[in-house]
Amino acid sequence: MMPSLHLRKDHPRMLRRTALAAAAMLAAGALLLTACTGSAEPGPSETELTADPDASVGIRLVLEPGNLDIRETAGAALDQILIDNVYQGLVARTPDQEVVPALASDYEISPDGLTYTFTLREGVTFHDGQDLTPEDVVWSLTQVRDNAAYRDSARLAGVTGITAEGQTITLTLGAPDSTLLWNLTGRAGLILKKDDTIDRKTATNGTGPFTLAGWKQGASITFARYDGYWGEPAQVAEVVFSYIPETQAALNGALAGELDVLTGFDANLKDQIEAGGDFALVLGKSTDKGTLAMNSKSGPLSDERVRQAIRQAIDKDAIVEALGAGQTQYGPIPELDPGYEDLSEVAPFDPDAARALLKEADAEDLTLTLTLYNGYGTTVSQILVSNLDDVGITLKVNQVEFPTWINDVYINQDYELSFVLHTESRDFENWANPEYYFTYDNSEVQKLYAESVAAVDPDEAADLLAQAARIVSEDMAADWLYNGASVLAVASNVTGVPSVNVNERLNLAQLVKSTE
Amino acid sequence: MIRYALTRSALLLLGLFVASALIFFTLRVLPGDVAQLIAGINSTPEQIAAIQQRLGLDQPLPVQYATWIGGILTGDLGQSMLTGTPVASELAQKAQVTIPLGLLSMTVAIVIALPFGVLSAIRRGRADGTALNVGAQAVAAVPVVWAGMMLVVVFAVWLGWLPAQGFPRSGWSDPGAALRALLLPAITIGVIEGAMLLRFVRSATLQAVGEDFVRTAAAKGLTRTQALIRHGLPTVGLSIITVLGLQVAGIIVGAVVIEQLFTLPGIGRMLVADVSNRDLLKVQGELLVLTSFVLIVGFLVDLAHRAIDPRQREAE
Repeated sequence: MMPSLHLRKDHPRMLRRTALAAAAMLAAGALLLTACTGSAEPGPSETELTADPDASVGIRLVLEPGNLDIRETAGAALDQILIDNVYQGLVARTPDQEVVPALASDYEISPDGLTYTFTLREGVTFHDGQDLTPEDVVWSLTQVRDNAAYRDSARLAGVTGITAEGQTITLTLGAPDSTLLWNLTGRAGLILKKDDTIDRKTATNGTGPFTLAGWKQGASITFARYDGYWGEPAQVAEVVFSYIPETQAALNGALAGELDVLTGFDANLKDQIEAGGDFALVLGKSTDKGTLAMNSKSGPLSDERVRQAIRQAIDKDAIVEALGAGQTQYGPIPELDPGYEDLSEVAPFDPDAARALLKEADAEDLTLTLTLYNGYGTTVSQILVSNLDDVGITLKVNQVEFPTWINDVYINQDYELSFVLHTESRDFENWANPEYYFTYDNSEVQKLYAESVAAVDPDEAADLLAQAARIVSEDMAADWLYNGASVLAVASNVTGVPSVNVNERLNLAQLVKSTE
Repeated sequence: MIRYALTRSALLLLGLFVASALIFFTLRVLPGDVAQLIAGINSTPEQIAAIQQRLGLDQPLPVQYATWIGGILTGDLGQSMLTGTPVASELAQKAQVTIPLGLLSMTVAIVIALPFGVLSAIRRGRADGTALNVGAQAVAAVPVVWAGMMLVVVFAVWLGWLPAQGFPRSGWSDPGAALRALLLPAITIGVIEGAMLLRFVRSATLQAVGEDFVRTAAAKGLTRTQALIRHGLPTVGLSIITVLGLQVAGIIVGAVVIEQLFTLPGIGRMLVADVSNRDLLKVQGELLVLTSFVLIVGFLVDLAHRAIDPRQREAE
């Protein structure tokens, strides 16, 4: 937890003095973010403020991870804080979703797309002080590929050779894989120390700008600056992630000066958080896809007309408005990902058309059950109930705990409708997987996806994805209720907080907290 | 007295055994398991099966139960399936928040209930006595969550006197900060529990006023209030101890709610998180300890009652 006694005394006064510079600071921060590779050299507008290298920054997160095992434990809660900050790969992704070198200083892909050559940086050390060696890289990647229990193991399945010669790491493939480089920016590509003996469930040993300084389960995780970092060292001494599921408690904590950054905030509370002038609401794009899965295996939902009727009955603009942030999305691929195109014409909001379709399908007086995780709140499900009621469908809402959802919906596929906020970027593969809980099976889509993966040219790969995505939407495989925004509240003396896709990545390398 | 204590201990052990079986098997009714949760929503059935096997979840339930009980009999409460941390050390750590919170809440409750309960009994039939009684009824009916939110808004957000949420990371190494973090939560629980307790104190006092020995004392020249305080209040104390024993369970439940509201890393919050993680080995260890605590408090209250109350001693 925050050293609240100390902060509450100094914080509000300091914030008031810096209030005038706040707008300038935010603009500078936004510029840094869009530049995305920019190092955080102080801009001209920051002269009134001094970055405090001893600062501790309090960040509210929503979901606490069950353990810290980045190899085996699923969940964006781990990727969000550990990747980039603690663990790194040969390559990393920027907020603009570009792939950039990280532990590799440079990389090259052969024209046939079968050989990836990385030049490993020298002078990189793990948090335990040991040097990063090419053997660590070969070991890490081989472990993931060969150990099916590891997350994303399948993403390296096509890599036939992982070798090192001097500082040169070479990956060889049996067939081109246009997703490989991106996958190496995720869990599959993280470099850990060879034969490390730490207990990954509670300890970490990475190469990133922050080390794990402590985990108070049920409360907070603390990162400290790693002074031996190979790149530009972090500009704050400490980051404290406080896990606060209740938005109101987070708001109170921020207003009382105990927190500097709130992630997962509610855009509808903009006026309350901004009232004192110490905080500003920041919205960023994300790959969060509010997905309404429809089980087409049996029952009325196996009829495409019924699924189309449901899509046309739901007012997506009303949902976005009620959430106070985000945008509409009418197909499986969000704007940030390759293969996006505007598919709004496929099934536009039209209750009359929906009623006609239901009549044609002889599916009037339908009752359906929506099963969803109880952490999602009720805004979306209330709109669904009312929209579907308008066209004669009675929707029963069944809110369940997350483990129940996994068991019933994900594993047993025992559901009719389910709402899930899928946060992962570039996850179209699930529509090409007939075993996935989406229950969607179209060989044309599977073929297009395989071709996209095998394409050497990124533009061609994206074009094939777009074709496949259009078919998925036209098949009424599911409905996409909204493309969520990353909603943050940031204190006016804090800059360098990422605003794009923060549910997946919260890279804090540029974080600065200023005093006057 | 000794025979009574022995019978009562045997009952306690039996109760604990039944509780352990109830806890173990009812938790197994919950859908989903920790392996599915570790594997997440991009997993294959093979991945889940491998994790289940590693955690021993593929064993038959009676075998799992026997393993657990066997461990407990050798003093091993088990460990978290997620982090491998022993349940005992997790409980010990979280108890640093929950036990002081409970004691503080109880203190607040007693400080409110005793003087005002007695006062409301003495002033029965008068305006102030009635007001106290009605006020207590109203406060006792307030939901804990709402009371907590109001206190946060006033004392943390408006006045800025006390923290709105959380507990110092350094724990009790700065006792002042730790105490301040617990003050609002303790007042929230304490005021509501105190209002309930107040009504018990009031009726116990009213009963005492009517007792023969209080009337006798008054007849021998003490004022009614003097007689009540010197001879009546000890009997009030007895019933308070019993009620306080019962309230331990209420305070634990209150702590579960209030620890969520104030983001306090205590036992209640841990329990909720562990259930939603399906970390059942940890949950059952925690529940068994809490159940034992409540049962043992009840046991001690019974013994204390027996020891203090001359009427019960003589009845043997």
